[in-house]
Amino acid sequence: MTAVLNAIGRGWLILTLAFLYLPILVMAAMSFNASPFYRLPVEFSTRWYAALMGNAALKQAAWNSVWIALVTTAIATALGTAAAIGLHRHRFPGRALLQAALYPPIAIPWLITGTAMLVFFYFLGIPRGSPAVVVGHVALAIPYVVIVVGARLKGFDPALEEAARSLGARPWQVAAWVTLPYLAPAVIAAALFAFAVSFDQFVISYFLAAPGDTTLPVEIYAAIRKGFTPEVNAVSTIVIGLSMALMLLVARLARFGEVR
Amino acid sequence: MRGPVPLLAPAYLWLTLAVFLPLSAMGFFSLVSDIPVGGRAWTLTLDNYAEFLARPFYAQLLWRSLELGAVVTGLCLLIGAPCAWVLARTIRGRWREALFILVILPFWSNGLVRVFSWAIALRGGGVLDWAVNAILPWDVRVNLMFSWWAVVIGLVHSYLPYVILTGYVAMQAIDQRLIEAARSLGASRRMILWRIVLPLSLPGLAAGAVLVFVPVVGSFMEPRILGGRAGTFFGTVIEDQFTAVFNWPLGAALSFILLAVVLAVLAAAAPILRRSQ
Amino acid sequence: MTRTAAIAIAGAIALAAGAQAAEIRVLNWKGYGTDEPWAVAAFEKATGHTVVHDYFNSEQEMLTRLRTNPGAYDVVLINSAFTRQAAAEGLIQPIDTAGMKNVADLAPNLAGNPELAFDGKVWGVAWVWGVTGIAYNTEAMDRPDSLEVFWDPAMKGRVGWRDDALESVQFAALVTGQSINDIRDLDAVRDRLARLMPQIRVFWSSENDWNQFLAAGEFDVATYWSGSAARSKTHFGLPVEFVIPREGAIGWLDGLSIPAGSANVEAAKAFIDWMIDPEFYVKWDTEVGAPASANLKAAAALPEDAFNRRVLGDPANIARVEIMKPVSDADRERFLALWQELKAAAQ
Repeated sequence: MTAVLNAIGRGWLILTLAFLYLPILVMAAMSFNASPFYRLPVEFSTRWYAALMGNAALKQAAWNSVWIALVTTAIATALGTAAAIGLHRHRFPGRALLQAALYPPIAIPWLITGTAMLVFFYFLGIPRGSPAVVVGHVALAIPYVVIVVGARLKGFDPALEEAARSLGARPWQVAAWVTLPYLAPAVIAAALFAFAVSFDQFVISYFLAAPGDTTLPVEIYAAIRKGFTPEVNAVSTIVIGLSMALMLLVARLARFGEVR
Repeated sequence: MRGPVPLLAPAYLWLTLAVFLPLSAMGFFSLVSDIPVGGRAWTLTLDNYAEFLARPFYAQLLWRSLELGAVVTGLCLLIGAPCAWVLARTIRGRWREALFILVILPFWSNGLVRVFSWAIALRGGGVLDWAVNAILPWDVRVNLMFSWWAVVIGLVHSYLPYVILTGYVAMQAIDQRLIEAARSLGASRRMILWRIVLPLSLPGLAAGAVLVFVPVVGSFMEPRILGGRAGTFFGTVIEDQFTAVFNWPLGAALSFILLAVVLAVLAAAAPILRRSQ
Repeated sequence: MTRTAAIAIAGAIALAAGAQAAEIRVLNWKGYGTDEPWAVAAFEKATGHTVVHDYFNSEQEMLTRLRTNPGAYDVVLINSAFTRQAAAEGLIQPIDTAGMKNVADLAPNLAGNPELAFDGKVWGVAWVWGVTGIAYNTEAMDRPDSLEVFWDPAMKGRVGWRDDALESVQFAALVTGQSINDIRDLDAVRDRLARLMPQIRVFWSSENDWNQFLAAGEFDVATYWSGSAARSKTHFGLPVEFVIPREGAIGWLDGLSIPAGSANVEAAKAFIDWMIDPEFYVKWDTEVGAPASANLKAAAALPEDAFNRRVLGDPANIARVEIMKPVSDADRERFLALWQELKAAAQ
């Protein structure tokens, strides 16, 4: 019985993966399709990759996106995890308000938040450029981190920390050896969220990046409006391919799927 | 023990500077008659909120967006929860890591490119149509493009990883010994599911559901591209106030109405979630 | 004129102005002429200035960018229907066209258009103009000559339309016999648009959408921009023909302006002069596909069969085109509410 259920479960997972990868495969296939209108069947060509090589703006934007996403991930994960622990551990007036305050950045369409940031930063005299973009991205990523880490904390037994303390552990030792190991899968998941939020974030970068020095989603958006999509498919395929290789490598080294 | 301030201050100060203060400015804009630029005259007013009531189609579209959010969230849970369980509990070793990564990666591709790829897949003469006709001997026209379902498919695809990821994190934390103990005491499979697995997975699944529902209600990109004529939602109406006309006051007011309704839905759902824990 | 001469003159302008090599920041739609790589490269080589682009996706956004980035841009493309508003808000500065050698060749009615030149000053240099009309798939249907084609029962579910409130209202005004710049009978417009809804198969929002939808057979006839239709045909080889319907069509005129606070006015003027140069225009139109030039010499230099000469050069066609005038915020908001309501009702 268990074996049957497991088989069904695995089948379900495989079907889901097929669903998740259908558009990715379409994208990859079309990046090798000579027709700019995606006519079928695919007529194999590498012309879009060749075009991409000559597109310095797109390559620069891809690199900008990567480093901005990495910086955002580091800052947002650290700040968000701390805030999640703070919200979980303490009861104080206004706590419910702070929790509710996590939703506006997610609920209000990014276009409005982005416009608001643009206007506000302008009033403050913060210039457009990568630092402003990072400030915006981190702010958007923090709520995701707090919510994801907070969900894991709900199942955390405070007696564990209590026990460690009573055995003479200092606060940082409790954090390093008890709390964080328990939280690790959630923190890693939250970091992946933060990276995805930043890497895919369009509106904030669109308004706050300096002209001529933008991020990949902004370039992609502008390109799609004008009809150079196969090149965009090519760069997206490369990005996915590289991330896949990198992630598998990291997974082999860190084995984070097994962290308990 | 120290207070919560050192833990909370950095994140919330950052949020205040980059989100809350700018959004307060938007809140102010929602209360004025015109944006004070270029010497425009403005007064404080509630007209922008009254506009929502004056034109019934706003409420109609908001309802439509809530419906969309509910359907997409429901489908994400239905598809994602079993996947999370399989990943967290039945697959071991290297395969698990590989599969885990495979689930997350699509999430890193560009949202716009994903949506456009769906467009290529769904439309008439597109990938699905072509594949179905290549397999089936008779002639079928598969064209899901520009429909409500196209929007749902695109959104479920974009947000499914949220549920799988948060569900995985919660389910992976369930102590196997609890399940064994219940089993040895004679609990049925169904009872274990309802009394142990589901309650313990709930915080994770609920967090995932919130992360899906909240942005989907305000989404405008996927509906616009995949929905065609069926792609008018509350999010697209808000977007128009910023792109088609210079009516930030109305756009801001509609956004805050959206936010209030979403928070009300979450508040209404909170007791149900808490009771089941 | 030969290429060397053009370069020499552009260089001379730069030298005469005593300009140092500057970085010119241009704000425009993506892929709209000024960012053609070969044109930018030639200009940079001739003058020593470098050109950086930033883009907008709606006119409202363009104005917001000007408002929130004072001094950040040197050249901005503004639809003439927005030039007065930009000037009134102090976002752009008047241009002294003395020394711009190509300005004398601009069509007087375009260069002197009251939406670009007013208060005795030039606020925008007429650059290109075009028409929003009908484009259709020549392999799928006969040539339509009237806007009524969009309401033809035979075309039900075969129509492509731009999801734009103002444009929708203007087309409905034309088909109900009103001027696009003086819409009085809004009820007739509403009624027309309500009946249009079931005809529409798809909303398009960009040139890319349009080409793909046509190639995929999603629509047979759609509203479209003249310059883009030319590009669909010449550059992408699609079976497309553009029609100026007998009821009239929506004309637009795009000017190049210099934002207030630009630190490189002379370099910006050199760039604008380069953009209205016949040599640039002919290459742009023949190799890429462009709207119609405001420069008479440029228009005359096109090949006989060029779309911009054949269709837009025909006085009978031109007579039916009315150039869009500014629309008040209140009217824009009224049109948007009308359009949104119709779309919501059609769900």
